[in-house]
Amino acid sequence: MVISSDARWEMVDAITRQTVTYGTYKQTLGDVLGDLTVKPLTGIPVAVAALYAFWSIFTSFAGTLVTDGFMVKLFDGYWLPWLQSVWPDPTSWHYFIFVGNPAADTCFEAFGMLTSGLFVSIGVVLPAVFVFYLMMTILEDSGYLPRLAVLMDSVLHRIGLHGYAIVPAILGLGCNVPAVTATRILETKKQRFIMMTLLALFIPCGAQLGIMMSVLPDLVGVVMLCLVVGFVIFGFVLNKVIPGENPEILVDVPPYHWPVKEYVAKKLWNRTKGFLKEAVPFVLFGVLVVNLLYLGGVIQGLADLLEPVFVTWFGVPKETVGPLIAAFLRKDLAIAQLSTIPMTTYQTVASVVLVTIYFPCVATFVVMLREGWKQLIAAIAVLFVVVFIYGGIIHAVGILLGVA
Amino acid sequence: MEQKITPISIYIGLLGLVTLAFGLADIFVWAGVSPGLQVGIIEIAGDDFFRWAWGGFIMACAGLFMLSGCTRVTTLQQSGKVVLGGALVWLIAGTDIFALLCAGIPAEEASPAFFNSLSGFLAGFAPPYTPAMVLLPFTLGILYLIRVRDADDS
Repeated sequence: MVISSDARWEMVDAITRQTVTYGTYKQTLGDVLGDLTVKPLTGIPVAVAALYAFWSIFTSFAGTLVTDGFMVKLFDGYWLPWLQSVWPDPTSWHYFIFVGNPAADTCFEAFGMLTSGLFVSIGVVLPAVFVFYLMMTILEDSGYLPRLAVLMDSVLHRIGLHGYAIVPAILGLGCNVPAVTATRILETKKQRFIMMTLLALFIPCGAQLGIMMSVLPDLVGVVMLCLVVGFVIFGFVLNKVIPGENPEILVDVPPYHWPVKEYVAKKLWNRTKGFLKEAVPFVLFGVLVVNLLYLGGVIQGLADLLEPVFVTWFGVPKETVGPLIAAFLRKDLAIAQLSTIPMTTYQTVASVVLVTIYFPCVATFVVMLREGWKQLIAAIAVLFVVVFIYGGIIHAVGILLGVA
Repeated sequence: MEQKITPISIYIGLLGLVTLAFGLADIFVWAGVSPGLQVGIIEIAGDDFFRWAWGGFIMACAGLFMLSGCTRVTTLQQSGKVVLGGALVWLIAGTDIFALLCAGIPAEEASPAFFNSLSGFLAGFAPPYTPAMVLLPFTLGILYLIRVRDADDS
């Protein structure tokens, strides 16, 4: 049967009459609040406040309550002494790999697979990632995240990205693995490359943040400041150097609404499950490989080789070379190792910043490889240059300020 | 015509001024103008950049939002600004209370127990309080504005 054009339009009208109701639009308080949170004058203080709440809840829950309140006591008071008492032969290689240093009083100092490895993954990183994803999901589902994307759009355009780049940037503070995957929301190859490189370089993951909070709480602000400055400077440079387009985006901003708890629970479970499956095995595997490399003398050999660069160019003590090399496998453990080395404030800040901007961890490396090997190689090339230059700049600033 | 100044405008204006003053005090104490401030049950320790400088900036913005919205406060646009200012105070006070709650649940580091005693937990909520926590009950008047707007919207 062939239907004429007029008949079709009549059908459309008939369906519309039955399904669509018309009324007058009336602005509500929610609409006004929605508008105020995207206007820069009012929106920026709200964004600053949202980040404050994000960070405050993160540190109170993950740091004070779960890790310091319960996990440290559980692992250092019960788990470590029990393992040290039952594991045979403290001088053996298997003791070194699985339990670590026999004289250690805390799981941070032990560096064994079943001591530091389990403590970091379950005691530090898991609560941090859990509360991070919970807040991230609430921001997303309440309708604030698209507004933040609109607000950040003009700023991020200056570094070749657009507003939605805020999503992988914030996700990266939880774990760089889903953040690298989230770069797919960016339109062009140029944007994805810039974001991926900046993620690998300047966004510390939840594991690193958790460890930083535990071992150097007073210096986290300074370290973060160094990273934010680096993010902006090198983003700007990459935008100028890399050819490609930086198109505008059209964002559909939904009205504010209360998140539906079933959806929040489902998203939270999926993200935490993904983290447990993809990242936790890498923590344990990372500790295993680092310990094997230490046992085989590989890290010591590399440390001897690279010592002049680290000591002269970056201004950090030679003892940091081992942890900095091991950072490729586990950045969080590298920071924990750094915390046991006696250093000045400058040296601590510089070495922690170096660990962060250093090579991406193995898990991120694998996901970046999945996004394309050419992009990965280019990102690594950029990374080496940036580490060398930025590490040198931090050292130079330290010398100028008289602290290095 | 909407009245420009009403009792609720005056209340919001005063609340905005006090919030702004507390925000600036947080920043000044952190900057070292005073080594730490305690007046009655209010305490500004000023020992931490994140809580006092960053949090103080948010409090100051909250005060400014309330002040900018205090005239013709029952109009939609103006009440939006006031509600936003109130929300920022709730956010700072809420995170302060959440921090006390998280610190109060586990037992002390030296104690062999995992959980704090009830008396120990409650002792954590004893004064002094941060300025945002003290302001919290006074900002609840803003809920009246939200109720008025909700009634208008429905």
